[in-house]
Amino acid sequence: MKHVGFGVCAILLGAFALAPILWALSTSLKPYDEAVAFPPAWIPKHVSLKNFADVLFRSGMPRYCLNTGFVALGTIALTLVAAAHAGYAAARHDFYGKQALLFIILATTMIPGIAILVPLYLVSVKVHLHNTFTALILVFAAWQTPAVVWMLKGFFETVPPELEEAALLDGCTPLRAFYRITLPLAQPGMAAAAILVFMFVWSDFLLPFTLVTGDQKRLVSVGLYNFITAYGIEWPRLCAALILALLPVLLLFLCVQRRFIAGLMAGAGKA
Amino acid sequence: MAPGIALVFGVSFYPGFVGFTESLYKTEYLRRVRFVGFTNYAAFFTDPRAWTNVRNSLTYAAGSLAIVIPLGLAVAALLDQRFRFRGILRAILILPWVVSQTITAMLWSWLLNPQFGPLPYALSVFVRGPLDVLGNSATAMLVLILMNVWESYPYVAILALAALQAIPPEVLEAADVDGATPWQRYAWIKLPLIAHALLIATITLSLLYLNMVTLIFVSTGGGPLGTTEVLSLRVFQEAFSFWNIGTASASAMIIFALNLLFSICYIRVIRGDRDRVALARGKAA
Repeated sequence: MKHVGFGVCAILLGAFALAPILWALSTSLKPYDEAVAFPPAWIPKHVSLKNFADVLFRSGMPRYCLNTGFVALGTIALTLVAAAHAGYAAARHDFYGKQALLFIILATTMIPGIAILVPLYLVSVKVHLHNTFTALILVFAAWQTPAVVWMLKGFFETVPPELEEAALLDGCTPLRAFYRITLPLAQPGMAAAAILVFMFVWSDFLLPFTLVTGDQKRLVSVGLYNFITAYGIEWPRLCAALILALLPVLLLFLCVQRRFIAGLMAGAGKA
Repeated sequence: MAPGIALVFGVSFYPGFVGFTESLYKTEYLRRVRFVGFTNYAAFFTDPRAWTNVRNSLTYAAGSLAIVIPLGLAVAALLDQRFRFRGILRAILILPWVVSQTITAMLWSWLLNPQFGPLPYALSVFVRGPLDVLGNSATAMLVLILMNVWESYPYVAILALAALQAIPPEVLEAADVDGATPWQRYAWIKLPLIAHALLIATITLSLLYLNMVTLIFVSTGGGPLGTTEVLSLRVFQEAFSFWNIGTASASAMIIFALNLLFSICYIRVIRGDRDRVALARGKAA
């Protein structure tokens, strides 16, 4: 009896978690007339890939995905460079005002995106970075750096300082010892951080919506939103686009579940 | 360390300053028309619609938390058991967390579509006529909260599960020896031990909920009749739909102040909590 209740709970929760995704998947595989048939059916009678072909070859989605990938890579690079040095300094060196500085950096993550969106827009226009990927990369990196600094600081603290001391004795400069010894050992941390940054950039809507205009530089979230406004809503095609946009994050999540969860617990928020 | 600091300060502090100065002007599109001091703020506090927005924000955040914490706890308790397919079930149940707000809003809009959605169809057994739950001012907020719960309960579940699995088995064995029922064991031993994790989740999520824009913007756009127009959404639309930059900046500053207030309270709570834990540990040793 206990097992039955347990199983029912598990199935209900699983259905709740999966239903929206499965319904979109089902619709994306249906021909148009079947997708808008009544009553709705969960299993498509005829499976067709036409919606996916439409999205892949006759819409802006591939471009938006490439754009987002480009911005994500730029953000990851900038974030890791900035955060690795800062995190290392915080882990290894004592300097005046360190605690205060670390706290202030962390405190900026409490500034909500919406409160700072308008001024970011104004500043980006003022410094002529409006409608550039540079602006997106700079802001995304600044938003992600604090959490990553704290995350990497934790990783650097697990690397024994004796290793670096040995390298210093062998004639390495401190910076070289950091690049050659400590950084490679902190690779799992860097990977986890990179994944979180990618997920954030791929998901965020507000920043690309406000800082970038026009089709050429559109990112994937805004591209999806435009499906609604541009063509009236053609649901089967939109569902195919949704599934395609979900694919990278789902695959990434399934491959690196453990790291993802570890990163989440290190204190990173959601887009 | 310098580049990181420069980046964070340049992008987070300087715009904050710009936002504040902008909020002191009457604006037309991007142009400052004239300096008006705190008029934009005064306008905010005397606008009844702004108060409705604040109330909606609080309803949205409190309503979501009221569901997300128990649900997250239940999922964590479920995943804490040993059973076959646990790995698969865990992956499935955590999945919604990686789905973005934009996509969540669209997935649910289609699932709840009054004409073609399977959920309204299933419910049509009970209710007659087309069931437009997102377009009905009586149900829109509730449905929005459910969508929000769907994409954020995994966060609570992950934090709670990690805390549950960190409980030393000896503690539970001691309870078994004393004859505790499973329910007693959960309520009196496990729950207090994971309270800190729940506190962290509550803090993070309430800040997230109070500042949420995308999910609401994409699914209801604040409608019907403004019933889902929360403060953060209002700021966004005031700025980027109607281009009232001065007004929007003032409201953004108010949101910022609210966040600051919340954060300070929370930091105090967490600090106090940590001290108490440290104290308890010190006593034990």
